[in-house]
Amino acid sequence: MNRTLFGHLWRSQRTKLLVVCVAMLAWSTFLPVIYQSFGQQMQALVDSGVIPKQLTNFGGADVFTLAGSVALGYIHPIAIILVSIFAIGFSASAVAGERQRGTLEVLLARPLSRWTVYITLLAAVLLFIGLVLAAASLGTVAGSAAAGILDQLPVGRLPLLWLNGMLLWGAFAAIALAASVSFDRLTPALGVTLAIVIVSYFLYVLGSLWPDAKGLEPYSLFTYLTSRDILTGIVDVKSFALLGAVAAVAIAIALVVFPRRDLAAPS
Amino acid sequence: MTVDSTLDSRAPPSAERVAFASMDALTTTGLTKRYGHREPPIHRPGHRPTGEVRALEDLTIAVREGEIFGFLGPNGAGKSTTIRLLLGYLHPTAGSATVLGRDIVRDSVEIRRRVGYLPGGIALYDSLSGERLLDYLGELTGRPSVRRAELLERLELSERTLRRPVRDYSRGMRQKIGIVQALQHDPELAVLDEPTEGLDPLMQRAFYGILDDLRAAGRTIFFSSHILSEVERVCDRVAIVRRGRLVALEDVASLLERRKRNVELRVAGDDVPVLDSVPGVSAVGRTADGRVTCQLEGDVGPFLAALAGHHVVDLTIEPAHLEEAFLELYEDAEPDGGDPSAGAAPVTPEGLAAR
Repeated sequence: MNRTLFGHLWRSQRTKLLVVCVAMLAWSTFLPVIYQSFGQQMQALVDSGVIPKQLTNFGGADVFTLAGSVALGYIHPIAIILVSIFAIGFSASAVAGERQRGTLEVLLARPLSRWTVYITLLAAVLLFIGLVLAAASLGTVAGSAAAGILDQLPVGRLPLLWLNGMLLWGAFAAIALAASVSFDRLTPALGVTLAIVIVSYFLYVLGSLWPDAKGLEPYSLFTYLTSRDILTGIVDVKSFALLGAVAAVAIAIALVVFPRRDLAAPS
Repeated sequence: MTVDSTLDSRAPPSAERVAFASMDALTTTGLTKRYGHREPPIHRPGHRPTGEVRALEDLTIAVREGEIFGFLGPNGAGKSTTIRLLLGYLHPTAGSATVLGRDIVRDSVEIRRRVGYLPGGIALYDSLSGERLLDYLGELTGRPSVRRAELLERLELSERTLRRPVRDYSRGMRQKIGIVQALQHDPELAVLDEPTEGLDPLMQRAFYGILDDLRAAGRTIFFSSHILSEVERVCDRVAIVRRGRLVALEDVASLLERRKRNVELRVAGDDVPVLDSVPGVSAVGRTADGRVTCQLEGDVGPFLAALAGHHVVDLTIEPAHLEEAFLELYEDAEPDGGDPSAGAAPVTPEGLAAR
């Protein structure tokens, strides 16, 4: 890893990172409050049969329990968009974007191996994702405290939830970086990564809402973000291992492809 | 290392080349880069693989330490491909090369530590100030920016200018920053691709002064340019590439020496000297207003001797220019419409000497 490049990445992203972290903190604070305010009413509504019970099982989360509402916060499109700003946006543009702008030329004219550049970019994006997810954990604690239900929150399990989130978004970031080092332009790198994330999310949501499509869930990486289970004391090591394996494969692909690629003059 | 030893791009490396390799800042031996489809495993006579582009074919050159070496050719000739191979952006299909004694494939990182590179049409980080950008690139290089202050002064980049973000810079200012980032750490070898692009004439002159100083300090410059007058002015030797192949590699002075100079003279009355049989003189003619024109090649002595005794009122001998040599070499190119992927036949020492 190169400290100078890492410092440059940090300085160039820190304002955006601050904004995203504040937004994630606010969003995560919001969910325990919703649970406290409307959870029981929503439960009554579902019990009355007005809302089909299957619709309350969105992504393995709900608002009837604190664990379910925290899990909802992690799987909701708002949270996904916030984390994707770095996991997908930053990662996909890290190499392909610099290549498209032509600035990769001056970077690779320095005494840096492509491995070093890649490892530095990976370290930076993992730090950014880690901070955004830490803001989510902090927001969960703050929201629970504000709603007066901190005693119901298993705070000690939040680091495991953070790690599970890191593995999921680290895997997506590794896929985005692998795409980024494989293309000369940002659009295909971003397009490929977004397609993978969107299809994965679609399979997960479909599988969770429609019993006949349950079989699709294992094909989605989001299935292996087991927020509610972790908060209720169930830890599925296989989920962690699978996410780690996907990330490792994507990293290995990038480390093979990037150093071997011919980088023709930018057009 | 002699010039002739590198003229034939197909020649294998000689014992002399190997023995004196340490004196060369940069060498390439049969360096080749092809893109696209590979040869089929079973080669059929007359079959040519489709879709293969020969960007560089069998390039063998040697750049001596301390010289300014011009690398010429039109767009698509293979100049950028060569530079990108030398700096590790591309991987060679065949052949080998060393930069500062290091192998371009194995030691690319170490090479880039000791080389300064100015890419053609350089793109910079627009959000950074000029000063911060130079700091950043200097830190990445890992060597102190010992020449920065001098370069900034000579290229008239003030502190106030450097505090502004790069996005506000004109094209010329960006180019100046590009030159500073390439040379600020006093590299042993500078690879400069179209370095005066966007510079005004005053700044071009300042830049030539910088190159003169670098040469005096023993630094080597690999200089790629389209501007032939500039190459003629600053370079010690030039290599000319065409369709991926080397077609000439020679001292600029020798190249110009063999070029025909245009001569025009006016004599008093009808006292016209007989020039047709003078060695080195050709294409003798007379204009409508009575002036004598001819072309002069080589030693000017016999020509001046032929003029002795005649009342010459006016005499103009235009200096030979690299442009004419360059165009002459290119006149021999295949007509347009030929196979663009095929490299032109290399020029042999005999062929070049005959020109």
